[in-house]
Amino acid sequence: MLEIKNLHVDVGGKEILKGLSLSIAAGEVHAIMGPNGSGKSTLSYVLAGREGYEITSGSILYRGEELPAMAPEERAAKGVFLAMQYPVEIPGVTTMNFLKTALNAQRRARGDKEVDALGVLRLVREKAKALHISEEMLKRALNVGFSGGEKKRLEILQMALFEPTLAILDETDSGLDIDALKVVADGVNALRSPERAMLVITHYQRLLNYIVPDRVHVLSAGRIIKEGGKELAHELEAKGYAQIVQDAA
Amino acid sequence: MSATVLPNRRIEDWKYSDLRNAIDPAAVDSAPTATWRVSLSGAVEQNSLPEIAPRGVHGAMADIAVSHAESGVFLRVRKSQHGKAHLEVASAGHGRALIVVEDGASLILREKAFADDFANVAFDVVLGANARLEHVRETAAGIDAVRVSDYSVRVGQGGAYRAHFADFGAKLSRTELHIALEGEGAEAHLSGVSVLGEAGHADVTTRIAHAVGNTQSTQLFKIIAGGKSRGVYQGKISVAEGANGSDSRQTAKGLLLGERAEIDLKPELEILADDVKCAHGAAVGDLDPESLFYLRSRGLPEGEARALLMRAFLEDAVAEIGDEATRADVWSRVETALQELSA
Repeated sequence: MLEIKNLHVDVGGKEILKGLSLSIAAGEVHAIMGPNGSGKSTLSYVLAGREGYEITSGSILYRGEELPAMAPEERAAKGVFLAMQYPVEIPGVTTMNFLKTALNAQRRARGDKEVDALGVLRLVREKAKALHISEEMLKRALNVGFSGGEKKRLEILQMALFEPTLAILDETDSGLDIDALKVVADGVNALRSPERAMLVITHYQRLLNYIVPDRVHVLSAGRIIKEGGKELAHELEAKGYAQIVQDAA
Repeated sequence: MSATVLPNRRIEDWKYSDLRNAIDPAAVDSAPTATWRVSLSGAVEQNSLPEIAPRGVHGAMADIAVSHAESGVFLRVRKSQHGKAHLEVASAGHGRALIVVEDGASLILREKAFADDFANVAFDVVLGANARLEHVRETAAGIDAVRVSDYSVRVGQGGAYRAHFADFGAKLSRTELHIALEGEGAEAHLSGVSVLGEAGHADVTTRIAHAVGNTQSTQLFKIIAGGKSRGVYQGKISVAEGANGSDSRQTAKGLLLGERAEIDLKPELEILADDVKCAHGAAVGDLDPESLFYLRSRGLPEGEARALLMRAFLEDAVAEIGDEATRADVWSRVETALQELSA
């Protein structure tokens, strides 16, 4: 599904990713853990296609296609979804209207029939309920005045609505209390499927108690320095990043 | 007859709207009297302008309109009556209009300026005690049009003037408002959007005088300038000595698309009373790249994402239009203009 080989990325003239390789197959959930500044968010932005992230060497193949050659909207239409760490606030656009516009933009790009307002409303309602997202929240301007937890739940709602093939969750646990974390994790787990791959990026092991990964990768200074099964997350929690980095050196 | 001296950039108030550059003074002098297309419903009376019409404070071009226009239109709503009026300059030139809404009466006024021509119109608006006027002015983009509209609005005790100006640019477009809140409890609520594309110009200049206490004014203007256009907002609020308890809010924001466009925002405050509330803010920015990326990452093509952010930028100003059908009309004009800008 996703094949990253020897990826080097510059941001503002500074090399952040320094030869990262990663391979995720359909149906798998991988976790990337790493300390602040290790390049976690850079990786998520590169995958989603944000400007200002320059790939100096290496490759990213998504379902056999060159991902960097695609515009962000093209990636979205082809099933790449990034749940962002800091979703932006857009005053003047209601959440519901945004969901409808985005869903239909993706469908249009794929040549699928658009869903009418009532159809979108039905789809959203059904998925919003499980995530404890109220009707009132959907009527508010996109992310404006939302709490940290509400923003994250809305990201997961979008993921449920767009049904991506590759979902990247960037620090989805940050700023969540334990109840909100469970709601979000349940939402993510509900989307696990043999056709879908997920990349969960996090600083802490806590989230991985609820979203149990198939593989864990430790990112440090722009490289994967250690890989393992779900037990690696516990080892990290026990030893701390400094020790793992030292062991790997 | 000596040629009229037109306001130009050497005059502070006209710094961003050089009329001398837009039209030949001889053409201004020889322009005929404008004629009006008027349609009325409810209790609105239409007469020809009286010989001696009340005149409030005006800008420089209004004097030229008054001296050149041989006739004008006079709309009147008598005490406690209600009506609607549509007003449009039918044939270009110099025009005058007098609008009187008497005590306790109300008028909904829709005004259009669609001709691609020269029009210079002076409006005198008089609102009595507890009178209300809801005014929406829409223009069509006119690359050769030179449009000057100068409104003098006097609001009596407890009266309210609510106005929205949707401008899509002209060779030169100047909307000038001189508003006097003359009675206790008088209110003025102004809003507007200017959406300007290739070679467009729109200037909104407001002068609000809080002459007595407990008067209220709000202003919310949004400007989007693309291409080589120039959007201008100049707003001066004066609170007279002793006009305590006055409350005035003014917001002007610009969205600048591209390096050849220009937005000039000039807020001014002159406060001579002690106990007043005045808040003002002015800012010019670009489309937020983070918002743009967020929308694109959710599948919106770049052009669509840009248009959505521009609509969002204008939203609160257009929402100030009370009448739903009028608001929908303005939105559809805005959509068309935004499509051209994002293309």
